[in-house]
Amino acid sequence: MSGVTSQNTNAEHSELRILGFLCNWCSYGGADTAGVARATQPTDLRIIRVPCSGRVDPLFIAKALFNGADGVLVSGCHPRDCHYSAGNFYARRRLEVLKHFLPILGIDPARFEYTWVSASEGERWKQVVTRFTEQIHALGPAPKFEDSHPLHAMVDMALAPLAPLGTGDPQLLSSVKEAIRKKLPELDCVIGWKEGRDGLHTVPHFIRTEADLEELRIGPFAIHNLATYLPNYKGKKIGILVKGCDAKSVVELLQENLIKREDVFLFALPCQGILDMGRVDQVLGRYQHITSLKTDDKTVTVVADGKEHHFPISQYAPSKCYSCTSRMAQDADMLLGNATQIQGTPQTPPELAMLDAMSLSERMAFWKSAMDRCIRCYACRNSCPMCVCRDYCVSDSRDPHWMSQSDATREKLFFQVIHTLHLAGRCTGCGECQRSCPVGIPILALRQHCARVIRELFSGYEPGTDPKAVPPLLGYQVEEEHIKEREWK
Amino acid sequence: MRIGVFICHCGSNIGGTVDCAQVAKIAEGFPDVVYSTDPMYTCAEPGQAAIEAAIHEHKLDGVVVASCSPRMHEPTFRRTVARAGLNPYMFEMANIREHVSWIGKDVAANTHKAAELVKLAVAKLRQDHALTSQEFPVKRRVLVIGGGVAGIQAALDCADGGIPVVMVEREPTIGGKMAKLDKTFPTVDCSACILGPKMVDVAQHPNITLYANAEIEDISGYVGNFTVTIRKKTTYVDWSKCTGCGTCTEKCPAKKSFDRFNEGVANTTAITIAFPQAIPKKAVIDPKFCRQLTKGKCGVCAKVCPTGAINYEMKDELITEEVGSIVAATGYDLMDWTVYAEYGGGRYPDVITSLQYERLMNASGPTGGHIVRPSDGKEPKSVVFIQCVGSRDPSIGRPYCSGFCCMYTAKQAILTKDHIPDSQSYVFYMDIRSPGKMYDEFTRRAMEEYGTEYIRGRVSQVYPDGKGQMVVMGMDTLLGRPVEIRADLVVLAVGIEASKGAPALAEKLRISYDHYGFFMESHVKLKPVETNTAGVFLAGVCQGAKDIPASVAQGSAAAAKVLTLFAKDTLQSDPQIAKVDIARCVGCGKCIRTCPYGAIKETVVRNAEKAQVIETMCQGCGVCTSTCPQGAVQLSHATDNQILAEVNALCQA
Repeated sequence: MSGVTSQNTNAEHSELRILGFLCNWCSYGGADTAGVARATQPTDLRIIRVPCSGRVDPLFIAKALFNGADGVLVSGCHPRDCHYSAGNFYARRRLEVLKHFLPILGIDPARFEYTWVSASEGERWKQVVTRFTEQIHALGPAPKFEDSHPLHAMVDMALAPLAPLGTGDPQLLSSVKEAIRKKLPELDCVIGWKEGRDGLHTVPHFIRTEADLEELRIGPFAIHNLATYLPNYKGKKIGILVKGCDAKSVVELLQENLIKREDVFLFALPCQGILDMGRVDQVLGRYQHITSLKTDDKTVTVVADGKEHHFPISQYAPSKCYSCTSRMAQDADMLLGNATQIQGTPQTPPELAMLDAMSLSERMAFWKSAMDRCIRCYACRNSCPMCVCRDYCVSDSRDPHWMSQSDATREKLFFQVIHTLHLAGRCTGCGECQRSCPVGIPILALRQHCARVIRELFSGYEPGTDPKAVPPLLGYQVEEEHIKEREWK
Repeated sequence: MRIGVFICHCGSNIGGTVDCAQVAKIAEGFPDVVYSTDPMYTCAEPGQAAIEAAIHEHKLDGVVVASCSPRMHEPTFRRTVARAGLNPYMFEMANIREHVSWIGKDVAANTHKAAELVKLAVAKLRQDHALTSQEFPVKRRVLVIGGGVAGIQAALDCADGGIPVVMVEREPTIGGKMAKLDKTFPTVDCSACILGPKMVDVAQHPNITLYANAEIEDISGYVGNFTVTIRKKTTYVDWSKCTGCGTCTEKCPAKKSFDRFNEGVANTTAITIAFPQAIPKKAVIDPKFCRQLTKGKCGVCAKVCPTGAINYEMKDELITEEVGSIVAATGYDLMDWTVYAEYGGGRYPDVITSLQYERLMNASGPTGGHIVRPSDGKEPKSVVFIQCVGSRDPSIGRPYCSGFCCMYTAKQAILTKDHIPDSQSYVFYMDIRSPGKMYDEFTRRAMEEYGTEYIRGRVSQVYPDGKGQMVVMGMDTLLGRPVEIRADLVVLAVGIEASKGAPALAEKLRISYDHYGFFMESHVKLKPVETNTAGVFLAGVCQGAKDIPASVAQGSAAAAKVLTLFAKDTLQSDPQIAKVDIARCVGCGKCIRTCPYGAIKETVVRNAEKAQVIETMCQGCGVCTSTCPQGAVQLSHATDNQILAEVNALCQA
């Protein structure tokens, strides 16, 4: 509050920090109309004029709430009455998603409201301002991220899979190699997996010659979602091995015009689960050599520095495997096995279940302690198949300048919010962000929660299932089925 | 950057509840502010001159004015800074009147808030860039939607001014509601006699193309360059052959067709010409009643038509017209008065609307101008007029006054006496609203010279007495007693509503409409003809209730606006549009998908797909900017950085 003198301490002390984003044509006019009518209103609100509610990026609101706003109000033209004909329809979807998203961060969703006020509705504007200001005063000053005591919590991975997990068919590898060998002459490259620093750890494998094929690894070691590489090869003919979950990313990339179907050849692998290398490494601790690696139908057995470790897939899979219902892509160019659709309702992912059980303040405290570990390496972003901005990510940019250079935990979490909201309705839940996090922050929970919001608001929409579908935040319906106007309409 | 800040007192409007000098002093401490002052009236000539002088003296390259709403004076001050050599977009306003001084009396709180709003404006200004307009050519043609008296006036004025006009009328004839009227107040001159020649002028004017029996299908484009698709609804008569001789209407056997022009007070034939003075005077078949079209056999009109104009196979036709400006003059419809059960809800034939009564009085109407009761054809001796049926009634969601009913009711009472000298008229009214020139004198004439009995009060019930008369029960609130009148005929002054389909048309025009469907003007007082969409103007009742003189005046006003717009060969585009940073763009096309105007297209730059904004089509909503994840498309003057600067000015944890 530098620059504003101490003469106004009364106002400063009793007022809360409330921001309003008002569209120029309707709501800003409505606020003017209220002024012309001398309609007395609380003084807390500071109005930012924008051309249209559709211009209000939900991240402006998140930014304000992260940086000390106690409340944020967005107001636009009534639906069907947008000066730009459809801006508020887009706004309605995006702002509704934000409102449902905020609680997972530990922010009370009542600190953000959006509504519609026309240029003629001065009296209504007064009521909206008065009610919202009262609502924020009832909540009191927003808890500050910095003030919360760090809360450490561990994710409980004791989960039952919808169908048994295992290491898969041992005969599969040779038939996969044969299939690739036949197709390879037509392709510039086929992407799979190969041994990394030791037999247990795999890395992506770019197969260009038949000799390369010998190194191919699959089964529980087909860890990475290789779809991440596809947009880089635009214009080339690329074959790619996909698990059921990876295929969703391919579909999403097709949907968003980021790859061309004719440039990609999909080899669909059946999958019975992969290893969660984070937890495997935790068990192994520090070791020098892996002396033996054996795989039976259920378990991977490792001897490291002479000590034997057993990793049953049913206990060491990442959370996505437990709720997997599609173990093999159906819409592929070549099916390398049979995998039936698994019936059943996926359970709440364990990362999300942990957060769901917390109060708002506990969640904020949890994120404070979790994000404090973040080293801003952006591995989460770089491994994300849908992060196609690549070199032009807003986190690295000064124009637009969304992120400061400050090392504050708040800024680190804000990047996760940017990533999650940019992926809203696009994230297929592949978990690469969390897998690649070198400090093991359960950031996938934010995406999982957002995906849950998208499902609830848009009739069970699942990204990555239909290449022809329009992602929900890139469309609208004049009458939204699941978005209800709030009571203070 | 060197910023100057001007905190306007606006007399006592702001100065009364904001310590402007204190705000100016605080503003001195904001980044880049080198000059800060608090003039009394910033928008006045000396105030603007002081801004210009300060720009020169202090070498300012940006100006903040804290005063009234930017919706009011932003254009004024942009011109001011431009006169002093600054780019008009190196200017920001803080609204400390409508949003501060007028909504609270706490001087300390207001001063604090005003200072913060100035801080916000300074923060925004520091991110501003000079923007320049582009010039683009104008199609000097105008579309007039609606051929009532307002539309006719607008069309004739534009046409006389040398502008080609395309007129689209929904009904088979132009003339609108005025063509249905018998006489007009306050002169009691014949409506057809004053409107008829204007209608003929429309038909004969070399600059006017008339599409009657047609509707607007679609409108795209922007000021100076609209593309309009017009649906010519099928008439089943080839108008290029029809001479309007009327032989078909004489011979048509389907004589019980609904007569739209006569408001259903009589029947007509399935093939009709609305009225003798119709423009265009062409026949139209109503497919709901035509025996050939409903039962597949008849064909009488085709047999008798001397020019072979009948074509039962005719289909709707779509026509495209290019225009630079649009005048909406779609008028009104009567509300559905049958919601009022107390007036019989439409069950009694002798309870009619005022517009039906006009047709009964009209010499070219179905009764040849003899006033008779619809039920038995007898001449009514006692006529009760009920005003405000569906006007000023919040209970049915119509709180507004329809404006002209008081006047035409007085006219109808006078004409009733003229037609039937031994008749007695009664008028139930709430208030008499007669503010126009010669208006109050006119209502007095109805009362004093014509002996019309005016009863101030509402009618509680209308019912038949079983002996051929209607019983009208009401309240005389001046005398404070109930009234009961036997009436041969009851005429309801039914309130008006926006023309059916007005909201749908507003959506096509991208203009606003109010709760009742009336189109919204840009400013209630200062821009009553303009809309918020550049190049679209309003005339007549579509904007709000008004009588014939006001409709004609607004028709001419709209024409003046069109002529002003077309006085230049080119228009300046608004530079507040989206721009693509092609380095950042990954060509995913999300902006293309979400743009409400189709103003972004895909282009190929060095073998890579990129988005490209079509500058003349972009309207500046910014949906693309909040859609693009990497921030590659930015709306000029509302960029991410500009809005972030405002957020950061207020929230710096």
